Amino acid sequence: MPEGKKIGAVMVVGGGIAGMQAALDLADAGFFVYLIEKSGAIGGAMPQFDKTYPTNDCSMCIIAPKLVECGRHRNIKIITLAEVEQIQGTEGDFTAHVKESPRYIDQERCIACGQCSNICPVSTEDDFNCSLGPRKAIFIKYPQAVPLKYEIDSGVCLHLKNDKECGICRDICPAEAIIFHDTPKHHEIHVGAIILAPGFQAFNPQKRSIWGFGKFPNVLSSMQLERILAPTGPTGGVLARPSDNSSPKSIAFLQCVGSRDKNHCNNEYCSSVCCMSAIKEAIMIKELLPEVEITIFYTDMRTHGKDFDRYFNRSQKEYNIQYTRAKIHSLEPGDRKGSLRLHYANEQGRQVEKFFDMVILSVGLETPDSAIILAERMGIHITPDRFASISAFMPVSTSKKGIFTCGAFNGPRDIPQAVIGGSAAAACAEELLSAARFQQTAEISYPEERHHQEGQPRIGVYVCHCGTNIAGVIDVDNVATYARTLPGVIHVEQNLFSCAQDTQDFITQQIREKNLDSIVVAACSPRTHEPLFRQTLKAAGINEFLIEMANIRNQDAWVHKNTPGMATEKAKDLIRMAVAKVTLQKPLHPIKVPVIARALIIGGGVSGMTSALNLAGQGFKVELIEKSSLLGGNALHLYQTWSGEHVPLYLKELQEKVFEQENITVHLKTTVTGSTGHAGHFKTVIKSGSGRKKTIEHGATIIASGGKRYIPKEFSYGKIPNVVASIEFDKLHMHNEVRIANGESFVFIQCVGSRNTQRPYCSKSCCTHSIQSAIKLKKEVPSRRIYILYREIRTYGQRERIYNQARELGIIFINYELHGEPTIAEGEKGALVQVYDHVLHRPLEIEADLVILASATLSNPDSKDLANIFKLPLNSDGFFQEAHVKLRPVEFNTDGIFVTGLAHYPKPVEESISQSLAAAAKASALLSKKTIELDPITAIVDLEHCDGCALCIEACPYAAITLVETATSDGEEHKIVEIDPALCKGCGICQGICPKRGVNITGFDYDQLLAQIEAALQPAQGHSQATPAPPEQSHGK
Amino acid sequence: MVYEVKVNELAEEFGVHRNTIRNWINSGTLPAQEGPGRRYLIQLEDYRKLCEKYGRTPRIDVTQSPVQPPLDTELPIDNFDTEPSLLTGKSSSLYSEPALADTCNTCGSCASSCPISGVDGLDPRKIVRMAFLGFEEELLASDWPWKCTLCGRCEESCPMNVRIVELMRALRASRPRGKVPSPIQKGITTCLEKGNNLGIPKTDFMDLLSSLGKELHNSDCPGFSTPIDVRGSRLLITINSKEPFAQPENMTWWWRIFHAAKESWTISSENWEGVNWALYSGDDNAMKTIVERIVDNMERLNCQALLLPECGHAYYATRLGLQRWFPETLEKFTVYSVFDLLMEYISEKRITLDNTTHTQLTAIHDSCNYGRKSLKTFGNAFYEESRAIVQACCPNYTELLPNRNDTYCCGAGGGAWASPYTVERVYYGSKKARQIKESKAKLIVTSCHNCKDQMEKSLNREFDLDIEVKYIWELVAQSLTRVLS
Repeated sequence: MPEGKKIGAVMVVGGGIAGMQAALDLADAGFFVYLIEKSGAIGGAMPQFDKTYPTNDCSMCIIAPKLVECGRHRNIKIITLAEVEQIQGTEGDFTAHVKESPRYIDQERCIACGQCSNICPVSTEDDFNCSLGPRKAIFIKYPQAVPLKYEIDSGVCLHLKNDKECGICRDICPAEAIIFHDTPKHHEIHVGAIILAPGFQAFNPQKRSIWGFGKFPNVLSSMQLERILAPTGPTGGVLARPSDNSSPKSIAFLQCVGSRDKNHCNNEYCSSVCCMSAIKEAIMIKELLPEVEITIFYTDMRTHGKDFDRYFNRSQKEYNIQYTRAKIHSLEPGDRKGSLRLHYANEQGRQVEKFFDMVILSVGLETPDSAIILAERMGIHITPDRFASISAFMPVSTSKKGIFTCGAFNGPRDIPQAVIGGSAAAACAEELLSAARFQQTAEISYPEERHHQEGQPRIGVYVCHCGTNIAGVIDVDNVATYARTLPGVIHVEQNLFSCAQDTQDFITQQIREKNLDSIVVAACSPRTHEPLFRQTLKAAGINEFLIEMANIRNQDAWVHKNTPGMATEKAKDLIRMAVAKVTLQKPLHPIKVPVIARALIIGGGVSGMTSALNLAGQGFKVELIEKSSLLGGNALHLYQTWSGEHVPLYLKELQEKVFEQENITVHLKTTVTGSTGHAGHFKTVIKSGSGRKKTIEHGATIIASGGKRYIPKEFSYGKIPNVVASIEFDKLHMHNEVRIANGESFVFIQCVGSRNTQRPYCSKSCCTHSIQSAIKLKKEVPSRRIYILYREIRTYGQRERIYNQARELGIIFINYELHGEPTIAEGEKGALVQVYDHVLHRPLEIEADLVILASATLSNPDSKDLANIFKLPLNSDGFFQEAHVKLRPVEFNTDGIFVTGLAHYPKPVEESISQSLAAAAKASALLSKKTIELDPITAIVDLEHCDGCALCIEACPYAAITLVETATSDGEEHKIVEIDPALCKGCGICQGICPKRGVNITGFDYDQLLAQIEAALQPAQGHSQATPAPPEQSHGK
Repeated sequence: MVYEVKVNELAEEFGVHRNTIRNWINSGTLPAQEGPGRRYLIQLEDYRKLCEKYGRTPRIDVTQSPVQPPLDTELPIDNFDTEPSLLTGKSSSLYSEPALADTCNTCGSCASSCPISGVDGLDPRKIVRMAFLGFEEELLASDWPWKCTLCGRCEESCPMNVRIVELMRALRASRPRGKVPSPIQKGITTCLEKGNNLGIPKTDFMDLLSSLGKELHNSDCPGFSTPIDVRGSRLLITINSKEPFAQPENMTWWWRIFHAAKESWTISSENWEGVNWALYSGDDNAMKTIVERIVDNMERLNCQALLLPECGHAYYATRLGLQRWFPETLEKFTVYSVFDLLMEYISEKRITLDNTTHTQLTAIHDSCNYGRKSLKTFGNAFYEESRAIVQACCPNYTELLPNRNDTYCCGAGGGAWASPYTVERVYYGSKKARQIKESKAKLIVTSCHNCKDQMEKSLNREFDLDIEVKYIWELVAQSLTRVLS
């Protein structure tokens, strides 16, 4: 690594999911992050989506915690409305000039009460809702935006256009946050590395008339459909035809609008995500309107990701969604008002006309011009398809050192790939700047914790108005007066906004002055705000767990708007319950566990080596376990990447680096036989080829155990000598074996062993691989006849170029389906292949010198053992099941263990490398800490009540409970459960299932819950009972 | 199984006139019995045969399940038992460039765009596929490339920019000349021998022109005489031989406009033909000869500009020929499209138009040669110019949908009007007819002879359109404001 100055800070450009992930990983691993966002709020495209495939999770719900985490992280500084103007310096030491456009709102003061927006007289088209609805000139991008601060659209604001007009938002703002004279700010930022994550924009189908967009009201883009389906969208989740608000009976999806098209746009590539998006949207529509008929018109269904083909199959079987392989030329007005006529040739070559009530255009992804400008300013190269130019071996590195890139800017990709890329880019920056770790980050110090006295509670209650959110419905004065009457409450305060920074300071001061020992905040959700109040308690010197929140906003004011009297009573109930619970709350202290700064990596293929080198480069010790006698794994059989880069050379380099790296210990011919422990401290037993066992202590584990190839049973493999599998072919080809040197005719058969009933998944890399081999054969001898028999060509992303190149070279592609598989017979020369042509609808016969079977990638049979040893889940195809397919693609629910490469799912080399870097980033965040704090909200065994019935063991999703033998004081032996606090997540399932009160969750124990229930059942009698000592009450903030 | 059908429903389904259906029934081509009401009873089998013949998906089909089986269930494939065709891998002699077939990714948008997809079991995608796989004999034997009107709609929709029209023309060119549809081949031969497609002798032509000129002088255009072989005229115009042969008065629309605009123009007495059917037959030598004659006339008569007033294809073929074989001439003289010239007259106020004579609902039919194909080849499609001109004459204007670059061909292009494939031509035109019907327009304005003939003489009758069809110059000539001289 080059010597020189290293600044322990990173600038991430782009606040979408990829940029956010990179920022969080870096900040968690000891680097300060400047997160530069072009718009007024981070989040990127994900908040616009309704659901995510293939799990149908709500997109907003899964991204919201990440948004909040970014917004609150003390080592992330978000700069919105910002643009990078200039970059100077070199890797390790960059200076960035960032221009922050005026927001016209003081972010420190704005309390996001929304009064400004309510009164603003200007309405304009809302970009966030894809122009389907209006927004005001003063607005927030979306309700959950981070930062949750209003901004003024200077283009439409009346006052900014003419200072004699309007300006009423300034008059109404209770926080005096409006600054009409705001000017651009210029930031000079010093960082060691830069990560570009500028994202994508959706293709605008209005560019060509054929799609009827903007001409026919019932033609919508898929982005618009996402907004319509979203419950928070412009129609509140109701799908109706824009022309007449009627419920559609039939809907068509047109795929590849703005993708795979050299004619109507210059986007030759495949956008990778639209097939799955269309399936998801179709399923969502079916859930809403089961009667609607949906047809998806496609060229190739590209469902190449993990569990995607299952989703595709399910959409047909369970939801009866129709698929037609036809590209529609254009849309015409239909038979009824508002309907659309689609004219096409069906799969039998017959002319068909169909009418649809609505048409959805599955628009592609493209790089926005602003990203191209950014790339030019940074001096980095871009591809002909206008994405960042990257090597398959360095999938997140740009052409300029110290500048990394992730997300859709690296080529069109879905959310997990973006998340993986974000983490991978973070790993690369961390490796570069490891010497400067913790150099720029801050730790906040808190005063020493005051002793908590039990028995005489001194509770403070804070009733929040939340602007008008709560006070507009609930009689807050009445509620506050009532709260004074509750036992243990010695102080009640009303706040306009409890979460505002100045209120926090005020609460801190009051806790000290009034000597409060616990507080109840009657405001909003603990999910988003409790961590904030915990910080406040810590600042005031009391235990951070001595707080209870009563959610009188989301669960009261918002949902009972029309019955304010009853809402006020409910608020009293909620506060009474919170007070009852917090009275019994004991201080809790997180358990600190020392972290062993060593990683164990299982698998010495490209994935394992990549993770190992990154972690070792960051200064961590790595134990690399490889079962065979050679490093390299499946890549030993590969010749080149899709972009034509030479794999054997790279592999040799990688092996050398691994052996040279001092921090890595390689264990060849070694397997793992057992493991105990938890994140930060695992003890794993390994066994060498000679049978010697050894225990390794390590803080993190990465599973990179790879996959296995399928040995075909189909197509006379092993019977006809000239039928070979693709890996064998590669070897023969490399040595130019006689059958190849003299071969004139080659037939590739795709999906051998993949996408069938036994293995309903796509092996992802075989289409690309066969096409590459075919191109090479053709280039060697142009007269060769080469045929590729396929089911769908899945050259996703920029790989589409090699598919196009192959056809230009005259390689013949013939589509087959499972009901008409090709047949092979022994021929005079080699083999006689028969296949049914999908265009001409007649059988064809090919005399092939060699038939190459693109056989499936299988899960490694060793995965089962590893899964048992580490208690990890596998999916039904035998691949490891990650914690969350979208947002936690390398993690497990068990902390400290990560997965990468083929062990996770079949994938090409660059995706394995990217994922391995991501796994390294996750491991380094853990390993860089001296100790980790384990959440103190855990299950505790009640030694008196537990009789060792073991009911809870099966129920525990984290394998934290074990059955042990113990002896009572009188020496009697009996069984009892033991809970590992490091593994326990405090979910409470064991407490719920235990029939004997043998287990308690700290902070949610039986007594607390009972007290809460009793309080709930007790009628609210604010005025009937006088309390012994009426506490003082002030109207402060 | 027996079905009850109504004649008009069946006529609509197959894109033919009601009388055609009745004729089929009367002649026994479509066996049917009289049923209740004004219905007929037909056997399902007979209906299917008819569908097969017309390449239509049967509208009525009880055996078709309403639910499409999922992709992984067994689907019967109709042809699997037929003898397989051996792929020889012989490189195609039909074309040399991959862009003519190889780059196709079989997405089917060409087949979706084509109004005669399925006729003879073929469509543009299949033709491209057959060329690519080397099924040459079959392709050359097929009449499909001649039923295709070379309208270019398929090519416009192709995401891979496969040059389908060029391939189709190459297929036509590869046929022995004796097997080219005879009216087309005869037209070309006559033109090469006698200077015009219909072999009109020079004397007859001259007599006709001068007598027409005299008539004009006596009626609307006092002082008019037909300028033949006037050296040094600014503008040379060609003639479509069909006009002097059958509709001589149609020539006078332009003459009236020239008279009003005080244009200096002339007609050549020799080789005056503007039509170039070699574009259709794929015969490049003949095409070049016919274009060269026009170049010769331009030079002989020392004109500065050329107008091919009669037809979209004449403009396209001549301009293409000039570009390809005589590029230097494009430096020497201007080639006008009808729209260029009319717009020039209007903008220079050499003519003024009256918008009170054509008050019926009017729409433009965009001719493929002036529109889509010109845009691709020459970079200009005249869509807005034609609308400006028509709307200056017709205040009550509407559009056919789709239009401009996405327009449907009338069905008679590419030589189809002259070719023997009448049924297919009418079927092709059913799309156009539907567009016209849906637009409710009563006057259709076009700029091409074939388009006008097809819509006025064929589609109007077959589909009861009840429309008037006018050339754009006819409309202009009839809308000229009379200036008191």
